[in-house]
Amino acid sequence: MASVTTNGQDRDPVSLFEIHRRQMIRDRMIVNVTLGVVFLGFLLWSLWISRFTPDRLATGLPRIFEYFGSVMPSLQWDVLFDGRNEAGRFPAGSIGYWYNDFWKYLRLIWETILMALTATILAIGLAVALSFIAARNCTPFPWAGVLARRFLEFCRGVPEILFALVLVFAVGIGPLAGVLAITIHATGALGKLFSEVNENASMRPVDGIKAVGGSWFEQMRYGILTQVLPNFTSYALWRFEINVRASAVVGFVGAGGIGAELSHTISFYSDDRVTAVLLLVVLTVTIIDLVSERARHSLIGKESLR
Amino acid sequence: MLEFKGLTKQFNSTVAVKPATFTIPDGQMVGIIGRSGAGKSTLLRMINRLNEPSGGQMLFQGRDITALKGRDLRQWRNECAMVFQQFNLVGRLNVITNVMSGRLFHHGFASSMMGIFTAKERAFAIRALDRLGMAHVALQQTDTLSGGQMQRVAIARALVQEPRIMLADEPIASLDPLNAKVVMDALRAINRQDGLTVICNLHTLDTARQYCDRIIGMQDGVIVFDGTPKELTDRAAREIYGAEAEEAFSEAMTSTALHPQPVAQPEARVVN
Ligand SMILES: Nc1ncnc2c1ncn2[C@@H]1O[C@H](COP(=O)(O)OP(=O)(O)O)[C@@H](O)[C@H]1O
Ligand SMILES: [Mg+2]
Repeated sequence: MASVTTNGQDRDPVSLFEIHRRQMIRDRMIVNVTLGVVFLGFLLWSLWISRFTPDRLATGLPRIFEYFGSVMPSLQWDVLFDGRNEAGRFPAGSIGYWYNDFWKYLRLIWETILMALTATILAIGLAVALSFIAARNCTPFPWAGVLARRFLEFCRGVPEILFALVLVFAVGIGPLAGVLAITIHATGALGKLFSEVNENASMRPVDGIKAVGGSWFEQMRYGILTQVLPNFTSYALWRFEINVRASAVVGFVGAGGIGAELSHTISFYSDDRVTAVLLLVVLTVTIIDLVSERARHSLIGKESLR
Repeated sequence: MLEFKGLTKQFNSTVAVKPATFTIPDGQMVGIIGRSGAGKSTLLRMINRLNEPSGGQMLFQGRDITALKGRDLRQWRNECAMVFQQFNLVGRLNVITNVMSGRLFHHGFASSMMGIFTAKERAFAIRALDRLGMAHVALQQTDTLSGGQMQRVAIARALVQEPRIMLADEPIASLDPLNAKVVMDALRAINRQDGLTVICNLHTLDTARQYCDRIIGMQDGVIVFDGTPKELTDRAAREIYGAEAEEAFSEAMTSTALHPQPVAQPEARVVN
């Protein structure tokens, strides 16, 4: 048995350990208390700035319900499914009356989805290309890597709605501005995720392709892309979900899609048309999320079964 | 003829290979031995410039290899194929595509990005696989293969490069004895039948003695032995391996102590 007195003092290992443990707990306490105080300070500060007080909450909350009350459709059971009358109008209280503009909404929602799809596809292309330059283990020139990483940071640092505002000014009102805005932001987000996936890839296949005389493009195409493709696909699907939501919002500044209609109904009518549009948006986003999640999980499942 | 003139490599503070000067004539089978960390891999990887030399010169048939850049460098890498300890195949591609990737240097941008290979290349790759007894797994995904099978695929990939030199960095270190023998036999057949120069890092002494025409011993980045297997006495070997001597000697018993196959076996010849 090794001596337990190597610390110079005549202590057994258990009590020595207890001393160290108490010391560690005390150190941790100091850190935790400091962090707690800092957190509390920021919390109070933000409460003060937003004037988040109980009485404001008490007067404000009912107004939310009030608003929702005013935009609720007044449906009546007896005429709920009635069609158009002789005058070509739906009777008040019917679904037809509530959703008088149904086909217009549907067309706009379809436009919203297409905007998200186009932006996602464009962003995937740009992000894949940039991710190989940005990944530290893949970059052909270190300075290009730094440049690519800064560029991606800028793209994802600025929210879509800001890009959309600027682009509406530049290319005019309509879906093009929205598509471009979402593309730029999604490129930043996807490029970052993709480059991190690249950095975790094994470099052995890359060495193999390098040794047969393959160019940088061939090293990336055969050595890295084959490893990361399932991950890329999963991230891209996930980004499509986010882009559908973003695409519904950029319309508020005139960049196409259902958002313009929503903003219009809110600011001009504030009646049951608001809920009509809102319900369709929520329904669409939910369906797309569910389908895409299914697809992603089956993809991951297939991968882990290998 | 491959000439080394004071070739050296330094990583930060460690000198992995001290200035080395020697010559390897065409068609020789050379084994480089030494304990781990001696600088074997570094020396080998400098030949195809996977590691950049920090000083000195390399000449192949009188041409300066150390100065090559861009497409010339890739052409040189295509001419001297390499086989790795961990195979370095693309696991998610099938076997035949991995073998055909040995032809990538001859491809244009579009065809290689789209992964389009010609029927001739497919036939060439299948014959190379067949030569190593691996044609039956051509369509299998590569990461489902065993280590021994992967190394044979890697040699097939090297063969379709139609190289002039074959570099092998501990090709049998992660293989069981039987697969080790198959791989070493294949390398020697390539050397004898196709007349390729083979330079092979080996961890075990006996393998080097049985298969190589010439043995180079390295110790702490310095070439301390250069001669025929006969000249490499047990005592000289012990000196090269130092503390790892026992391991190097005893591993030999289990790895390729099985006698190598006679060389004459003119089966399928792929590389013309
Ligand atoms: N990429 C690297 N960075 C720093 N040191 C390295 C690197 N590669 C190898 N070395 C060092 O160079 C020496 C030789 O390594 P290596 O050529 O791999 O030896 P061997 O293949 O004979 O086992 C070792 O001391 C090793 O630590
Ligand atoms: Mg090594």
